[in-house]
Amino acid sequence: MHGVGQILLQNRASVLDAWLARLRDTAPGAHPASLQLLKLELGTLVEKLTGYFLTDDEDGAGAGPAFKSVEEQAATTSAACARDGLTPMETATLILSLKSIAGELLDRETSAKATELYRMRTALDAVVDRLALVTFAAFVETREEIIKRQGRALLDLATPALPIWRHIILMPLVGIIDTQRARQVMEWLLEALSREEARIAILDVTGVPLIDSRVALHLTKTVEAARLLGSQVIVTGISPDAAQTLVKLDVDLSNMITRGSLRSGLAEAFRLLGQHSKGPIETMI
Amino acid sequence: MSLEPDVVTVNVTSEIDAAEARQEARRLALRHGFTTVRAHGLATAVSELAMNLVLHTDRGGLIRLTAQDATGAAVIELVAEDNGPGIPDLALAMEDGFSTRGGLGCGLPGTRRLVDTFAITSRVGEGTRIVCLVRRP
Ligand SMILES: Nc1ncnc2c1ncn2[C@@H]1O[C@H](COP(=O)(O)OP(=O)(O)O)[C@@H](O)[C@H]1O
Ligand SMILES: [Mg+2]
Repeated sequence: MHGVGQILLQNRASVLDAWLARLRDTAPGAHPASLQLLKLELGTLVEKLTGYFLTDDEDGAGAGPAFKSVEEQAATTSAACARDGLTPMETATLILSLKSIAGELLDRETSAKATELYRMRTALDAVVDRLALVTFAAFVETREEIIKRQGRALLDLATPALPIWRHIILMPLVGIIDTQRARQVMEWLLEALSREEARIAILDVTGVPLIDSRVALHLTKTVEAARLLGSQVIVTGISPDAAQTLVKLDVDLSNMITRGSLRSGLAEAFRLLGQHSKGPIETMI
Repeated sequence: MSLEPDVVTVNVTSEIDAAEARQEARRLALRHGFTTVRAHGLATAVSELAMNLVLHTDRGGLIRLTAQDATGAAVIELVAEDNGPGIPDLALAMEDGFSTRGGLGCGLPGTRRLVDTFAITSRVGEGTRIVCLVRRP
C-alpha cells in the first residue's frame, strides 16, 4: 500500500495534530507532562506506520517483518498509556481513532478511483485494527507487571520483625500467607532472631484471615528452624473460629507454643525468659 | 420460601485463585446465615480442596459453591473437580497424614470432618470430583 504511505508521509504533521486532539479528548485529566511524552510516542508510531506502508507492496495487512517494528511501537505507546492511567478502553479508542483521521485524509488527498480508495481504506483499517489488538495485549501485560510490582512492594512492607524487648522480637503477620510469603516470613524471622540475638520470637497471626494445613505446615517449619537456632517461637492471635477449625483438620500444633492474644503471648515470653516483669512493663502486660 | 440458588464459581490454577475461592466461600456462608465458625470451616475446606487443585494437578480445576435457602434452613454444596491425574488409592489418600508431596496430609480427611456430607470419586488419568454439603438448621 504505497499510496497510503505517500499520503501519510506528506501529511504526517496534520495526522499527528488530529491524533493529539483526540488524546486530549480521551484523557482530559492527563498531566501536561505525560501528554508531552505520549505525543512523542504517537509521533514515532505515525512515523513507523508511514514507513511500513511505504515499503509494503502488497495489500496483505499487518504481516511480515516490516510490521514488527510498528507493533513494537504500538506496544510501547500503550505501555505509556497504561502508566499514565488511561483505561484499556481509552487506549484502544485512541488507537482506533486513527482509522477515521487517516481515512478522512485519504478521502481528501487521493485522486485515485473509488475502487483504489476502497482498497487503501481497507488496508488501513486492517492495520489499525491489528494495532488496537496489539495495544490491548500490551496494555494488559503492563498492568499485570505493575500489579506484580505492587505485590512485591507489599510483600516487603508487610512483614517487619520488631525487637520489642531484650531477647524478644515480634513479627505481626498481616494478609494472605501464600508459599512465597511463608518462605519469606521464615527467612526474615530467622535472620532477625540472629541479628537481634533474640531468644524468643512472637509470631502474631491476628491479621491472617485463614490458617489451612499449608499455612500450618509453614508455621511448624518456621518454629522448628528457630529451635535449631536455640530460639523459641510463640504463635499468638489464632482466633477461636480458627482454633476450632484447626482441631477438626487435625493439624498438629503441639510442637509450638500458642497463645490466644498478643498480651498473653508476651506474658509467656517473659515467663520463658525467667524475668519477672518489673517496673513499667507491669502496666504493659 | 425457597429462593433461587446462589452460585459462585472460581477457576483455580494458582494460589491466589485458592485465596479468592475461600473468600467467596466465607462470604457466601455468612450471606446465608451460617455462624462465623461454620463459615470459617467452609472457607478452610475450600482452601484445602483448592490448594489440592493447585498442588496435585497440572492445570488446576474448578470450585463451585451453591447455596440454597429453605424455610429456616440453608445448605451449601461445595464441588471441587479437575481433569487431573486422579487418585490411585482413595482409601489411602483419605488417611490422616498421607501426602505424596510432603504436605501435612490432612486436607482430604480434614475436609471430611469439616463438612456434613463428603463424597469423592476419582479415576486415574481422568480426574477427581469431590462433593460436600454443609447445612444450617
Ligand atoms: N485433586 C487431586 N488430584 C490428584 N491427587 C490428589 C488430589 N487431591 C489430593 N490428591 C492426592 O491425595 C493426597 C492427600 O491429599 P491431602 O489430604 O489434601 O494432603 P496433602 O495435600 O497435604 O498432600 C495428596 O498428597 C495427593 O496425592
Ligand atoms: Mg491438600
